[in-house]
Amino acid sequence: MLVDQPSTRRREADLKVDGQVLDVETAVKDGILGGVGGGFGGGFASEKLDLKQMIEELESVEVPTVFICPISLEPMQDPVTLSTGQTYERSNILKWFSLGHCTCPTTMQELWDDSVTPNKTLQQLIYSWFSQIYLASKKRSEDVQGRVKEILETLKKVKGQARIQALKELRQVVNAHSTAKKTVVNNGGIALISSLLGPFTTHAVGSEAIGILSNLDLDSSSKSHLMQPAKISLMVDMLNEGSIDTKINCSKLIEILVEGDDFSAEKVASLSLLVGLLRLVKDKRHLNGILAGLRLLKTVCSHESVRSSFVSVGGVPQLVVLLPSLNNECLELALYVLEAVSTAPEGKLALKDCPNTVPNVVKLLMKVSENCTQLALSILLAVFNLAPEECASLAMDAGLAAKLLLVIQSGCNLVLKQRSAELLKLCSLNYTATIFMSKCKLTRTIQ
Amino acid sequence: MGLLCSRNRHSNEADAKENAQAEEIERRIEQETRAEKHIQKLLLLGAGESGKSTIFKQIKLLFQTGFDEAELKSYISVIHANVYQTIKVLFDGLKEFSQNETDSSKYVLSGENKEIGEKLSEIGGKLEYPRLTKELAQEIETLWKDPAIQETYARGNELQVPDSAHYFMENLQRFSDANYIPTKDDVLFARVRTTGVVEIQFSPVGENKKSGEVYRLFDVGGQRNERRKWIHLFEGVTAVIFCAAISDYDQTLFEDEQKNRMMETKELFDWVLKQPCFEKTSFMLFLNKFDIFEKKVLKVPLNVCEWFKDYQPVSTGKQEVEHAYEFVKKKFEELYFESNTPDRGRIFKIYRTTALDQKLVKKTFKLVDETLRLRRRNQYEAGLL
Repeated sequence: MLVDQPSTRRREADLKVDGQVLDVETAVKDGILGGVGGGFGGGFASEKLDLKQMIEELESVEVPTVFICPISLEPMQDPVTLSTGQTYERSNILKWFSLGHCTCPTTMQELWDDSVTPNKTLQQLIYSWFSQIYLASKKRSEDVQGRVKEILETLKKVKGQARIQALKELRQVVNAHSTAKKTVVNNGGIALISSLLGPFTTHAVGSEAIGILSNLDLDSSSKSHLMQPAKISLMVDMLNEGSIDTKINCSKLIEILVEGDDFSAEKVASLSLLVGLLRLVKDKRHLNGILAGLRLLKTVCSHESVRSSFVSVGGVPQLVVLLPSLNNECLELALYVLEAVSTAPEGKLALKDCPNTVPNVVKLLMKVSENCTQLALSILLAVFNLAPEECASLAMDAGLAAKLLLVIQSGCNLVLKQRSAELLKLCSLNYTATIFMSKCKLTRTIQ
Repeated sequence: MGLLCSRNRHSNEADAKENAQAEEIERRIEQETRAEKHIQKLLLLGAGESGKSTIFKQIKLLFQTGFDEAELKSYISVIHANVYQTIKVLFDGLKEFSQNETDSSKYVLSGENKEIGEKLSEIGGKLEYPRLTKELAQEIETLWKDPAIQETYARGNELQVPDSAHYFMENLQRFSDANYIPTKDDVLFARVRTTGVVEIQFSPVGENKKSGEVYRLFDVGGQRNERRKWIHLFEGVTAVIFCAAISDYDQTLFEDEQKNRMMETKELFDWVLKQPCFEKTSFMLFLNKFDIFEKKVLKVPLNVCEWFKDYQPVSTGKQEVEHAYEFVKKKFEELYFESNTPDRGRIFKIYRTTALDQKLVKKTFKLVDETLRLRRRNQYEAGLL
């Protein structure tokens, strides 16, 4: 059995498989007999690595095509060869035969001989190849873990520039390796980094720390630890002052902290935060900033007390003016915010007072998604109920009536249709039938 | 012909010399203007006794050579004056209370203290003060320790008792030494009303020694009658450092005993924010005297001040202090954003300070410096520089 007997013959030439050079000698030795330089986890030294497990863990790795079964397109664990010379995974080709076929699946040749020969050479190659890659990745991951632990230890001791450097390095490592994240979490990294945030934290330190924290999974005790007023103030300040990446990270982190907790949103949504988010959302140069800002705005504006703050910093006209330039994902978020705000009396007033509300919102009806149309209708209804005549003429000029009729006739859900009918009625209240019809600017067919 | 020529040549020489001088002057003006552009101007504003001058002194101590012996000695007369002023305010206040209060037995001095008090009050009322001798210091200390005076001190917020009263009274022995030289702390606590404008130029030297930022800090008088002097300074400042003493919420003004100090601060802040010359200026709000605030807020509720009348305490001890601080901070924030619509895009940051603590001031200033540098970088990136 080739698999159990390591070859003692020296091989001069390296095997080339699909452009990858395989040093089979070393691969076999490493794969079966033990660790690379014995430097890592003793566990590997005597255990036989399970091929199935390795294949599973190395799912994302590009496997050489000769190792792949033509039937399942998966790496073969027990390759067998037919009389045509084609190799398949044993279970797959046997299944093929059991279905009544007596052909070779790839060459379509009729088989006079349905015997299958185990391809031990290929099996060994596959095993070695996977082992080599598996062990290398394990080593890399251990290196990463070691490095992370080192950096965390350093962070406990240093200050000033050294601290900033350590944080920068940790951030790079965490971004490059997913195993690093777990290591940070398991070694008290979150508490350590959180402790660096306070009223006297410099922007340089804070922005790196937030860059790391916003990418980690935070449990609820970490979250409540980060919810201290001084730390939140720091995040809000950085959101106002930092680079676009820092702004986005702060936004993301605050969103994580506030998720699902009603009281947190109120604590966090200071006027400074809202102003900072509005500035972020208005920055047309950075689309991901707009998205991050709107997401957080949506989260905090689901709370009543925040809505009046939002209105008081002039958020409504700023957001309304932005609507035409937003992409679909952002539009839905923005409409959500405006709709939430429209439930508050000061919000309704602000929406009505802004001259762009009606035209901009009307344009969005039936344009993006059902959800958006629903939100837009709610906003319009709220505004109309406040000042029917004013809004009616504005809306008609913007072509509202045609759109409403479209909604009513379309396949939208019932609620939407009812809302549209309601709105249409509100519009028509001030006009006689004929004037109304003419104002509708309908085409002949719809008329 | 000859005459003409020679006359021309003579006047040519004179002209040339004048031109050279004029050029030299112009060149120097141009150099200085360019240099000026790189100097960031910081303006310290705030109501009276909000801690502006203390911040000023701290910056001098931190980033300049500090005070030399001559400067330190120049503060002796100020400190002695503060001592006399303090004890006079207390004694006069005591007399006032004993006349008005129903339970006036609290405000009766024992034995000779009444005479001592009268004598000190007379000294304190003069224009010039005598040097503080050991005997006088002893008498002041005796009077200070009298229970009636301590009762009066407990109601110090109703009088114009300076915040540093306790510090002065506790160090009388040292102050009256024949060879007394004031310490740095003594200088920081010393109180003299700033009249006019004082300025210093400095460069914050940090780990990043090549920072190269040059700041010029202006300190102006805080009381109302000095404010007209500020106007012409407002052009082109990089940042306003507005000092607000948050422990003042239960005290009244020196220049108008009917007006609550916190309300005065609120109005001043509002006024400053609305000045058109500050449209692009960054605002650093120093919520100062946190150390006094910490202790006071647990004893005197915030709602004695009209601006804070909707305050609800939630717990006790440190948590309550934090909660109260956040409330005050939020009030200032609301005030700022009221005058900030539409959003002018300027920087607004709030710092918790205790101007007397040098380490804290250093840390705070480091953050201010960082913010201003970030602002320049952001402006540069946005193509505004």
